[in-house]
Amino acid sequence: MEEKPLKAKSLGRHVSGKSSEPDIRNLWTTATLSQPKLNVPLPSVPEDSELKGSSISGKTHGWYKQKAASHYSDSSWKEMDDKDSFKPEQDVHRRSSLGNHIEEGDDDIRTKAEKPSSGSSLSISKHTPHRAYWVEQQNRLPLPLTELMENEALEILTKALWSYRSGIGRDHFLTKQLQRYIERLQRRQNKRLHVSVH
Amino acid sequence: MKLKKGSFLWYLYLDKLYCLLSVRNVKALVDYFHLLDVHRKNTLNDILFYHFLNHVTDLKRKQITTVFNMLDWNAEGEIGFDQFYMLVCILLAQENHLGEQFIFRHSRPVFELLDVNGELKIGPANFHTYNFLFNIRKQQLRELCRNFDISGDRHINYKEFKLFTIFSMDKYQERQKAKREKKEKALIKKKVSRQVNESPRVSHGINGSESLSSYNF
Repeated sequence: MEEKPLKAKSLGRHVSGKSSEPDIRNLWTTATLSQPKLNVPLPSVPEDSELKGSSISGKTHGWYKQKAASHYSDSSWKEMDDKDSFKPEQDVHRRSSLGNHIEEGDDDIRTKAEKPSSGSSLSISKHTPHRAYWVEQQNRLPLPLTELMENEALEILTKALWSYRSGIGRDHFLTKQLQRYIERLQRRQNKRLHVSVH
Repeated sequence: MKLKKGSFLWYLYLDKLYCLLSVRNVKALVDYFHLLDVHRKNTLNDILFYHFLNHVTDLKRKQITTVFNMLDWNAEGEIGFDQFYMLVCILLAQENHLGEQFIFRHSRPVFELLDVNGELKIGPANFHTYNFLFNIRKQQLRELCRNFDISGDRHINYKEFKLFTIFSMDKYQERQKAKREKKEKALIKKKVSRQVNESPRVSHGINGSESLSSYNF
């Protein structure tokens, strides 16, 4: 089975703190898990990671084979094996053809409004969090720590904003820059909270 | 000086031998620094720095200003990541009671921080000013000025300071050793007293069983 290695972007070298795209948190969102068409490409694995692209897709394919081999014909499996890149869009289409036979994962993961007719989202929910966790461990800080950092930074910067306003005024460009930055952080935080609630 | 419990810095830790952060901790710190770097200059200005320290420690305004002036060694009015990293190491050393080890391991940078005027020597006033950060006790200060001022100019140059850190480290290790020995002795005493308490119970038990057996027909 030939598998093309995943793109090797150097996520690990991003020391600047800027969030590189695609954001790993997208892998964790239940909204994307339950959608039949996922527009978020999976983040690439860096070259210096222990996990080479082939081993990741090899592992996931291997897991997937174990789960579904008893239910499906060889033809559907050949179709899967022949496809080289492990992209969520392709993966979803593949899984949608397999029908409702894969019954696993919690029902809580699915949102009622976005529940697809096929059982494809369940298999994604089983796959993607494991992969997201694994990639995250290689490249990024754990999410709880990131959340703590952002919450704390938000509190500090909000107090700093009051000092800026009293010191240099509301109309100063530094005050406005800080305000925009805080709003961006708040939006990111709300998005994350919204996703975790649903 | 104490770190606020549950703050981000509170979760970091220094390596006990070298008193430095691990690579993973540094990565986390870099990301944290960049979150606070609002204006994208890889620096924190005095206001951001003040609010950061005010949020994560119990330092007062005057002390925070003193720390800022100490770290702003280029007099740019801003703190870069190098200075931020140094400060975090100092804070963590204080928090985890590694002050003496930290000063011993990093005597040169600490000396340069204390030498605010760049005179290549420091006096008692320098130590008093930064006592809240480095926690050098009064007795230690007296020892330093009395026993290590070899040149006799009532100021300490780097070599004299280094000797002082070696001496403090030796004393610290002796204290730790004495503590460990005390703990071991206390543990041994406990064990012995437990054994002594248990042995009468055992003998009672034997007597009890004998008396019970006498009722068994």
